[in-house]
Amino acid sequence: MRLTRVRLDQTDGTLRQPGRPRLLDGEAIAGTGVFLMLAALPAVAGGYPVYILPQYMLFGMLALSLGLLWGFVGVVSFGQAAFFALGAYTMGLAMQQTASPINPAYLGLAASLALGGALAGVIGYFLFSAGVRGAYFVIVTLALSIIVEQLAVSQSQITGGWNGMFIDRMSLTFGPLGEVSLYDDAPIYYVVLAVVAATFALLKWLSRATFGKLLVGIRENEDRLIALGVRTALYKTSAFALSGAIACLAGAFYGTHANFVAPSLAGVLFSTEVVVWVAIGGRGYLLGAFLGGVLVASLANYLSAIIPRYWQLALGVIFVLVIVFLKGGIAGAIAKLLAPRRRSPAR
Amino acid sequence: MMTAVSVAIDAVSITLILALAAFGLAIIFGLIGVINLGHGAMLTLGAYFTWATTAAGVPFLLAVVIAALGVGLIGLVLEHLVIRHFYDQPFETLLLTWGFFLISTEVIKIVFGTDFRNVTNPLPLAFHLGPVSVPAYRTAVAGFSLLLIGAAAFVLYRTTLGIKIRALIQNREMASLLGLDIGRTYKLVFATGALVAGLAGALISPMLSVDPYIGNIYLVRSFFVVTVGGLGELLGGTLIGAFFIGGAETIIALVSTQAFAQTIVFALAIVVLRFRPQGILGGR
Repeated sequence: MRLTRVRLDQTDGTLRQPGRPRLLDGEAIAGTGVFLMLAALPAVAGGYPVYILPQYMLFGMLALSLGLLWGFVGVVSFGQAAFFALGAYTMGLAMQQTASPINPAYLGLAASLALGGALAGVIGYFLFSAGVRGAYFVIVTLALSIIVEQLAVSQSQITGGWNGMFIDRMSLTFGPLGEVSLYDDAPIYYVVLAVVAATFALLKWLSRATFGKLLVGIRENEDRLIALGVRTALYKTSAFALSGAIACLAGAFYGTHANFVAPSLAGVLFSTEVVVWVAIGGRGYLLGAFLGGVLVASLANYLSAIIPRYWQLALGVIFVLVIVFLKGGIAGAIAKLLAPRRRSPAR
Repeated sequence: MMTAVSVAIDAVSITLILALAAFGLAIIFGLIGVINLGHGAMLTLGAYFTWATTAAGVPFLLAVVIAALGVGLIGLVLEHLVIRHFYDQPFETLLLTWGFFLISTEVIKIVFGTDFRNVTNPLPLAFHLGPVSVPAYRTAVAGFSLLLIGAAAFVLYRTTLGIKIRALIQNREMASLLGLDIGRTYKLVFATGALVAGLAGALISPMLSVDPYIGNIYLVRSFFVVTVGGLGELLGGTLIGAFFIGGAETIIALVSTQAFAQTIVFALAIVVLRFRPQGILGGR
């Protein structure tokens, strides 16, 4: 498929003239700014923010994994937390293999990437190849969340059941060159930041490549793409597998950072929190999804200390208001504000 | 032999109770295509209304009626304020009803607290079939479930209202051109679905401890009941789906744990949906 002549705008699906190809679009520039700010943060603030921010960044990465599905394929998974928890448990089990000749943390990260990708790939292919769409996919992923949570509870000899599982902080080893312990908060902050920024860059690049354009095409009109000879099930499966791998990897880092994983991390409630983050941040915008995850999770942490009984209610109300009045979320609203100025010379 | 009889009785009563729990969803999802993720919240609300009114001294049957009407009213308000603007965007209704779940769960926590609540069983007796004892209340609810599904069948296939609803499902534009008030019929169906969900929550409440998340268990099960049975197959579909989900769970739970049985059944339901996305009874 050659889709290079036309650019599909992600927000409204309108076709734009090719014009000169830009190396970076607005979202990539804004994203670079956000990650540079995050990189500078430990220099100006220490202590708690440096400890806690990597966890929120990993939530942001989890949100990115859903943003990829929702924004580009138009499919929502209510089971992203299942992959996240799976990654954390995998990391925990790997870190227990202290006798391993290879760094157990590397084993854990590789295993969680592979496991997340494989599981999502199998489920995705199983469903998408039969033409299961939209609502059914939501229900199946919701069930996936329940299944993983129940397995985590019931297989207590492996997972520790309700008590959860302790996970050590990982360290980076460079063969004969030595080792960097990530026990302290600052080193792991930068490792997590690098991983999250790389994920963002990868997804951003994919979204501008033919792969991303085909996904948008599937979202806008799957039947037409089938008629054009595109094997849409394969593309949707790849997107879901990538999304599962990203969520699982984020979970693995989260486990080693938080030192702990419990079954509730797989639960339906956490899964749907991810949906809320992305909806508020802005479906269809990778940066919106990421910032939705980071900001809503930090806000939740802050507000749950002040108004523990009401913040979740407030979040629910905001969620409904966003869907009714602000379909593109906050990122969509910002893009709309900027859009007329950008387009006026062309018309 | 004795176990076989008691398992059979169990499977039948579980099937019928699950059918009751799923019926409100079968109405809303099956008839007007709203993917109601607030279904679980509606069940929970029905259970809490029953707990609150019986605790205030209202007799059980009256409490059930109040709970059902209360949830029906909430459904009506929800439809009027939000859902009716989104009938042509099924995916948005899915998100909006999920938002309803989030809000209603938090309101329940604030108003009723998070402790487990118990509704007194109004029929604490059991009757005995030989050596097998059958709890009376479960049987009564199972019987009522059959009655309700029968009544819905009557309305749908033997009344003018039923013809209107079926016309609406078959061809919305044509039904509208022929003078059917689409908005009102949708509103009626949605409110009825909410009312039935509230009724189910109220009737189920004495059988378990009520907490703000009881509806969650039933939400996913209800969806599988409706989709495995066949979307829009209001009567047979609901019963067959409920038998598949509830019956299988009962039988598998005999040889393993409850949690494992549920996992297996969910996995089975996913497989069924993969090979028959239209459900067991669904045509097309």
